[in-house]
Amino acid sequence: MKTRTFIADLLTHAGLILFMIFLVFPLVWMIATSFRPTAEIYSGTVALLPESPSLDHYRTIFLEQKIFTSMGNSFIVGICSTLIAVLIALPGAYALARYSTRWNNVVLGWILGSQIFPVILVMIPLYILLRSMALTDSLIGLTLVYVVWALPFVLWMLHGYVRTVPLDIEEAAAIDGASRSQIIFRIVAPLLLPAIGASVLFAFVSAWNEFFFALVLMKDPNLMTLQVELARFTGMEGQARTGPLAAASVLATVPSVVLFGFLQKWFSSGLIAGAVKN
Amino acid sequence: MKRFILVGAGVVVLGTIVFLLLPQGEQTDSSTTRLRFVSLAWQEQALATNRAIVAEWNAAHPELPVEYVQGTWNSVHDYLITGFETGDVPDVFHYESSVIVDFAMRGFLTDLAPMIEPEMRDDILDVAWASVRRPDGAICGIPFLMESFIGLYDVDALSAAGITPPTFERPWTWEEFRSVARRLTVDTTEDGTVDRWGAAIGLRNSANIVMNLSIGFGGSFFRKVDGQYVVRAGIEERELLSTIHTMLYADRSIAPSSVGQSGPAMIPGFFQRRYAMLIGIGAWGRQQLVENAPRDFRWGVIPPLKARTQDIGTSTQTLSIPKASKRTAEAMAFIRFMLSKENMARLALSDWMLPARASCLEQAEFNDPATGWDVTTASARFLKTGTWTGAPGYVEWKSRVANPVLQEFFSGRLSLDEATARIEEESNVVLSRYQEDGR
Repeated sequence: MKTRTFIADLLTHAGLILFMIFLVFPLVWMIATSFRPTAEIYSGTVALLPESPSLDHYRTIFLEQKIFTSMGNSFIVGICSTLIAVLIALPGAYALARYSTRWNNVVLGWILGSQIFPVILVMIPLYILLRSMALTDSLIGLTLVYVVWALPFVLWMLHGYVRTVPLDIEEAAAIDGASRSQIIFRIVAPLLLPAIGASVLFAFVSAWNEFFFALVLMKDPNLMTLQVELARFTGMEGQARTGPLAAASVLATVPSVVLFGFLQKWFSSGLIAGAVKN
Repeated sequence: MKRFILVGAGVVVLGTIVFLLLPQGEQTDSSTTRLRFVSLAWQEQALATNRAIVAEWNAAHPELPVEYVQGTWNSVHDYLITGFETGDVPDVFHYESSVIVDFAMRGFLTDLAPMIEPEMRDDILDVAWASVRRPDGAICGIPFLMESFIGLYDVDALSAAGITPPTFERPWTWEEFRSVARRLTVDTTEDGTVDRWGAAIGLRNSANIVMNLSIGFGGSFFRKVDGQYVVRAGIEERELLSTIHTMLYADRSIAPSSVGQSGPAMIPGFFQRRYAMLIGIGAWGRQQLVENAPRDFRWGVIPPLKARTQDIGTSTQTLSIPKASKRTAEAMAFIRFMLSKENMARLALSDWMLPARASCLEQAEFNDPATGWDVTTASARFLKTGTWTGAPGYVEWKSRVANPVLQEFFSGRLSLDEATARIEEESNVVLSRYQEDGR
């Protein structure tokens, strides 16, 4: 029996390790490529680590493109759109989950339906609308677009979580004299930390990785976002300057990884913290 | 600690909001005084040259500065279409002839013909003008770089096999090329697997290669019947398809990996001597060889292979002015500067493509044997414009019909008859839609 359990554990761990390798390999390859000189990349040699590591590609991206400026722009629109989307979605999700009206399903259906629109269909009317408000070529305009883009999904996700919070907890708080806003922000919100964490991550990564809106709405080279800057290392018919592209991609990956690391504890501790809250 | 985090978060949010509310970029007066130039240069040298020329213009014309915007090939189409539809356009943009003729048909571009000076008109090659001229004589862009497919060979592989490389005086026919490719396909370790393939050709998205190389066989694919474009895949169009397929599956002299790869992706394999010859690659591919080939790797350029003729199809890269631009005359003045004889030569050398001006082709730099420019430049006389130039819907046809069907054909999932039948049938559905639209 013990042997059978041991073998099952071994197989499970072996499977997990293989899965980890599968997930991590592209990242490792990208980092290695960013340090590989161009001639080595073109040599076709298959090796995990570069033979003669070099910082040339990092030097190239900083000298040739405005990487720091574009990272700053991406960071600003990412943070702002995330904060605004989550702050709007949280009370919205609460209202949809707790106040039952005959319109709830219509609203939820509308939110879901808005997700199926292809971007290209809304692009030209959106551009004209934003231009009429002098919001093209502006980080404010781009932030608003990202809020609108992320809001339906964040709202949908938080709505599902709010429904899982037992009503008894809120009633107990109400008996203790808590107001509605206190119940939302001091009782429900801590219980929703895993969902808020996931929403923050989703909204930020969506904004950070978005390309098409930024490409079309921003004209000033100083206001470009990182994804638009990254695309500049690609050429005709799928060609790319592999080394600089890998170096820029490594930098582009860092904020999402850091944010995930920061939010990770929310995922594991949110519900427990809520459950034992007095 | 909690208070510190809250205060910190508040400062970040407030700071960001203040930053967002500050005037951004150079929006205020840039749109009224600056010309916006969207360039698609992306290689290091080409980028540097474009930026240098723009800087020279700006130094000489402080009253009319040009803002350099680096676009990307993958997204420029959507970028421009949105601009055309909303009226927010760059003053000058860089693109390719096969696409801009479609823009011109839809009325998005300025006719540059009346603004072209005689010196430029006479110096740019007729084949380049043909790629941008509309049936009514309108010119929708100034061509400055010409695409040309070349072939490359491994000098040592040919030498070891006792094969004399082709020359312009004694070019290879496709039959000779087939025979040489068979001889160069070897199993040096005698383990039953091929160690070096005679040839490779990047067949991923192969429509471009097939169309342009078929011209030598007399193939055109696009014909005009009663004033409407139709696609026909007759004997002439089938010859190249059949030759490549035979080399892939009967001769087994073309590397099978060709089917899923692009030409540039095959260059590392060429360096590793996995193929003795690489054909159907853009002239710009030489840059990788000059800059990144191993020191002991010797290579040469194959003159265009002879079918009925040595003709090869070409398209051009162009500079155009949108009709919505409010400073057409100024934009044209910038184009004249950008594409002067000296600057066009600089652009072509930095992009490793043929310049469209005859006077540039005569310069010593474009006849250097060490970089393969000599053969590439001499090949320019075989360049022809395909009948598909100016056909409405050509770009969609290429991506929705030709590339997928040819991919299936070269990967062995369709016979030649099935592939050509599908190309004709599906193509004419796409084209008829454009022609019904009256575009």
